[in-house]
Amino acid sequence: MHELKAESPVVLTQPAPTLGRAIVVTSGKGGVGKTTTTANLGTALAQRGAKVALIDADVGLRNLDILLGLENRVRYHLLDVLEERVTLDDALVTDKHSPTLFLLAAAQSREKDEVDMEKMRAVVAELRTKFDYVLIDSPAGIERGFQNAVIGAKEAIVVCTPEVSAVRDVDRVVGLLGSAFRPQLIVNRLRPLLVRKGKMLSVDDVNAILRLPLLGVIADEPEIIVSTNRGEPLALRSEGATANAYRAIAARLAGDDVAAPMVEAKESLFGRLGSFFGGRR
Amino acid sequence: MSARKIVVTSGKGGVGKTTTTANLGATLARRGHRVVLIDADIGLRNLDLVLGLEKRIVFDLVEVIEGRCQLRQALIRDKRFGECLSILPAAQTRNKDAVTPEQFAGVVRQCGEVADFVLVDCPAGIEGGFRNAVAGADEAIIVTTPEVSAIRDADRVVGKLNERRLPMRLIINRIRPEMVRSGDMLSVEDVCEVLSTELLGIVPDDEEIIDTTNRGEPVALDDTSRLRTLYEKIARRLEGEIVPFSNLDQPGFFGRLLGALKAG
Repeated sequence: MHELKAESPVVLTQPAPTLGRAIVVTSGKGGVGKTTTTANLGTALAQRGAKVALIDADVGLRNLDILLGLENRVRYHLLDVLEERVTLDDALVTDKHSPTLFLLAAAQSREKDEVDMEKMRAVVAELRTKFDYVLIDSPAGIERGFQNAVIGAKEAIVVCTPEVSAVRDVDRVVGLLGSAFRPQLIVNRLRPLLVRKGKMLSVDDVNAILRLPLLGVIADEPEIIVSTNRGEPLALRSEGATANAYRAIAARLAGDDVAAPMVEAKESLFGRLGSFFGGRR
Repeated sequence: MSARKIVVTSGKGGVGKTTTTANLGATLARRGHRVVLIDADIGLRNLDLVLGLEKRIVFDLVEVIEGRCQLRQALIRDKRFGECLSILPAAQTRNKDAVTPEQFAGVVRQCGEVADFVLVDCPAGIEGGFRNAVAGADEAIIVTTPEVSAIRDADRVVGKLNERRLPMRLIINRIRPEMVRSGDMLSVEDVCEVLSTELLGIVPDDEEIIDTTNRGEPVALDDTSRLRTLYEKIARRLEGEIVPFSNLDQPGFFGRLLGALKAG
């Protein structure tokens, strides 16, 4: 697999004020909440007044449209744009709830190998001229779909659940990304009660391995499943711990000075973690 | 008698393929079958972790295929199950392109010579990793959760497996009966109807799984486990026995799901 590189060293500084920020949301492992994070963070950013474009890069297994409740409004998709059958404006679907939020859906009956990576890079670049944020929802894995998702991005958010398997996969992805993307961490689906009982890794346990700037912590709440099934991101709600947590993440991402995310203070439980993370391979 | 070669797949990641493979494999092994589990997630292996065997890896699947070791050198026997359970770990520093479906099928066949059941833990997605994992299988278990996104992905996989004429059955994982009752979660009936696939098992969302996974101990080893009997039922159904389903759910209705799946 060829090494992933950001376009230029410019990414190490703040993006130019006229260009939007292109951020890939990734994890390696599937099912940790990349799509949920993308939908909610996009919603929270848009609710702050930012212009936000979301790209579903999971060609063949799209789901971001469902989480936003937009599945019946998708007419054209990413590959239609990359293959120049329609313009970006034709393909972008306006969100139901947030007028400054837009979705570029993935193709459902095509495959990840069919994405022209250079064109993907160009589409993200074009979106950056029109939007404040371009969030790219990466598929699981570290193969072509991941590379497609990363190619136009300048920054990365990695989503990890407090499970040894997820931590291992995220660690691998962080290694592949390298420092150019300045990855920031969201710990998702934390169950504080289980952490206190010593049956779940804590945020500190997770970050003792990953050692990334912590962007936020989201607790595991059944209402997230409900919101997925209904197509209404929780970030739309005016109150509630999950909605507030997404708003705090959006604010932190935007550079606001927000209090550090809730992290339980306790010693590391899982000696096991250290053994297979001796060095990043 | 030749081994049953079963791929455990889902399309969507994180629905419990690896957990299912480990626990079902352990249950079959405890029932006296010789079982080999193959981790097909090259580059992002995890089956070793779920079984607590990560420190015992010497060789991996890719090294077997490249002829750098014998299969028996790469197989890690889980001593808690006597001679019955082994895993073939995936390579961690390679990726899925390192192997072709033909090569993968060859390894599955080889594993079948020393086992009654070969379970292949498929990676997320429907690309190369999936094509490898299904190559040597003659039946499939689809794992899904009662979420619209997981079911849409599973539906894609059902289509792909139909093209290959692979017989398949469904495990619905992480169901929360109280949420089904309140109408906030799809019921077993809803899921089966959409996927029109025969049901093999139902596993509730139980924090026991988080703990046992982190500790690397499959529930089959724990006599007090709530989930152990459910995996036993699944194993018995796989053996061919007719085992009634527990009444975990009430019929529910979720009109949006059908609309969403049609749109996709």
